[in-house]
Amino acid sequence: MSSTLVPEVPVTNGREPAERAPTDWKTHAMQSRIRKRYAAERRFRLLGLGAVALSAAFLVFLLGTMLINGAGGFVRTEIALPLDFPALSLDVEREQLAQRGADLALAGAGLQNAVGVAAVSAFGDEGEDYLADNAWLTVREAIKDDPSILDRRVTIAVPASSRIHLAATDDAEPAIEAAAARLNAAGALTRGFNWSFLTGSDSTDPTSAGIWGALKGSLLTMAVTLALAFPIGVLSAIYLEEYAPKNRWTDLIEVSINNLAAVPSIIFGLLGLAVFLGTFNMPRSAPIVGGLTLALMIMPVIVIAGRNAIKAVPPSIRDAALGVGASRVQVVFHHVLPLALPGILTGTIIGMARALGETAPLLMIGMRAFIGSAPEDLASPATVLPVQIFLWSDQVSSGFVEKTSAAIIVLLVFLLAMNALAIYLRNRFETRW
Amino acid sequence: MPRIAFPLSLIALALSACSDSGAAREEIRVVGSSTVYPFTTAVAESFNNSRPDMRAPVIESTGTGAGINQFCAGIGPQHPDLLNASRRMTIGEFEQCAANGVTEIMEVQVGADGLAIAQAAQAQPLSLTRAHLYRALAANPMGRPNTARTWADVDPALPAIPITVFGPPSTSGTRDSFNELMMEPGCEAAWPAAAELEGDAYDEACVLIRSDGPYVDAGENDNLIVQKLVADPSAIGIFGFSYLEENASRVRGLPIDGTTPTYETVASGAYPGARPLYIYVKKRHIRAVPGLAAFLEDYAAAWGPDGPLVRRGMIAAPAPVRERSAAIIARGMTLSADALR
Repeated sequence: MSSTLVPEVPVTNGREPAERAPTDWKTHAMQSRIRKRYAAERRFRLLGLGAVALSAAFLVFLLGTMLINGAGGFVRTEIALPLDFPALSLDVEREQLAQRGADLALAGAGLQNAVGVAAVSAFGDEGEDYLADNAWLTVREAIKDDPSILDRRVTIAVPASSRIHLAATDDAEPAIEAAAARLNAAGALTRGFNWSFLTGSDSTDPTSAGIWGALKGSLLTMAVTLALAFPIGVLSAIYLEEYAPKNRWTDLIEVSINNLAAVPSIIFGLLGLAVFLGTFNMPRSAPIVGGLTLALMIMPVIVIAGRNAIKAVPPSIRDAALGVGASRVQVVFHHVLPLALPGILTGTIIGMARALGETAPLLMIGMRAFIGSAPEDLASPATVLPVQIFLWSDQVSSGFVEKTSAAIIVLLVFLLAMNALAIYLRNRFETRW
Repeated sequence: MPRIAFPLSLIALALSACSDSGAAREEIRVVGSSTVYPFTTAVAESFNNSRPDMRAPVIESTGTGAGINQFCAGIGPQHPDLLNASRRMTIGEFEQCAANGVTEIMEVQVGADGLAIAQAAQAQPLSLTRAHLYRALAANPMGRPNTARTWADVDPALPAIPITVFGPPSTSGTRDSFNELMMEPGCEAAWPAAAELEGDAYDEACVLIRSDGPYVDAGENDNLIVQKLVADPSAIGIFGFSYLEENASRVRGLPIDGTTPTYETVASGAYPGARPLYIYVKKRHIRAVPGLAAFLEDYAAAWGPDGPLVRRGMIAAPAPVRERSAAIIARGMTLSADALR
């Protein structure tokens, strides 16, 4: 032991070692060597700084473009539409409006056409194009709130079409630009925060497209993923670190897990398609299947992170606990796991963040779909945020450009919130010794 | 790995038992063509808005071929109810369906998608083939840079008027249709060796349109192309088929491969620039899936010439076709193998 720590005195045949001449720092050769060393130091520091600056610049560019493009997605333009209900003569019974069938009754009475007619009489022949396709839904809600408006003239603020909305924000065709300017001059246009973007679901019309359906789908999917991957991953890690004998089989398992962590995500999609949909006949497009598939994907990440965290717990803690008579289970759950938890949580959150941004495996199990309402439970059809972004980026209508960016902002906020939670948890549980 | 897979499969089994997917499904499932997708989603949206008590339909854009594979996989809640198709089902696919027990399929033509090639009504009539169009408009016809300046350069039988073509920009869906329906078949007709090319080389030779003047990018506005054609009788224009109908007094459809674009030739698919759009429905699902019958009625209500689907860019089918499609839905008439032969 001590031989490696304390070097032996060099053998000098009994004589004192010759005294070393002091280094002359002033010579030319030495000066140039020192300069070289300092230059190398500076170069390395600048290189590192450059790398950080470059990645920061990319991040700023990404966030900047997203914010600039996406800000408009959170705003909507509304047109004050005068509606003369007695003149439009909607064929609808007042009693029906109080009941559950109100929506059907109003749709059947031709409310959609009536709103179009009102737009034409208020804004000219093109008037119908100024309103969003789903503007009549706003009118329908207004009638349901207060059926008495059917007896008088009212003005209701309805969402403007995306062309009018875009004309109000940036360049557009001259005709639409002029129409927007005219409406604006008449004081008919108002702009406000688009709450329906946060509460609505997918739509073919950018003005009524919302993110809630996809966000809820993501939340449900993540819940399933976490509920499965975390306990199974942590238990596997504990078993492999604390209990498993070291033999050929455990080596094989270790190699398999490391391999699995690097398998492309699309493969897990195919696996999910074959196993969950093919063999177990689970419902297509459901968050539960998405969650199961993503759980398979991130489990290896959690196992690896968990094993490393458990390995990092000093053996003295185990020895001490065993020494005072704790059982193996008590050692693991009272001492090792609490100390390893910050590391395990970090690994889990990294895995969850990867799962949150994943699209490829979900395409395979049918979560890339148009679904006009938010999912109600784990088995009802749903889509998730990144898939929604993908679907919108594919849309022809120019109004979807800002919706895509706005959806990306929502996804980034979601991710940031998850990472913030991870850091909070880690700091809370972190112990130093 | 087995240690993870085992508990996982147990959990999956337990979940699949409680999620009970064997029972009836409540929402309508649609798969298939990306061309029909925007129209079916539009119908789904209005279905959703007018019937809030129904579950929202789920529409996946998988492409016609992959959609047929899923559609034909079987009858039951795990299989889709409806197929969007931008072409007719082939007899082979129909038999594949039947082999999996998917019989009693209703074939409904909902409209058409396509483009027309036209010139001003007072212009000297031209009749072109797709190979002519390819040789006149490709950047590198048959692998060599395009030098044709007049139609006579393309084919001595054609008049010696300069090639001027007003068409959609490369970002447009009409341009995609043009590439798919005119340029690619034209390329393969004029230069059979092109079929051997792959990927970028194929695109370069067959799809890339010249940018040295004769092809004029006229913007997304099809009405503008119509106006330019009237002002320049030697030019021809490429635009959505519906604009040809609307401006029948001012512009005339050019016969392509001998077929003039009319509603009949478009609906039958005889005109090369258009393709009929279909939905296929499993009749045996209509009673099992709530709302499917109402969804089909909504579709029928939307496909008229001044309906919402036409506003989204679909070409309405001619009245007799619409009537027949409506009758298929109303009476539940199913497709027979003979009709596809």
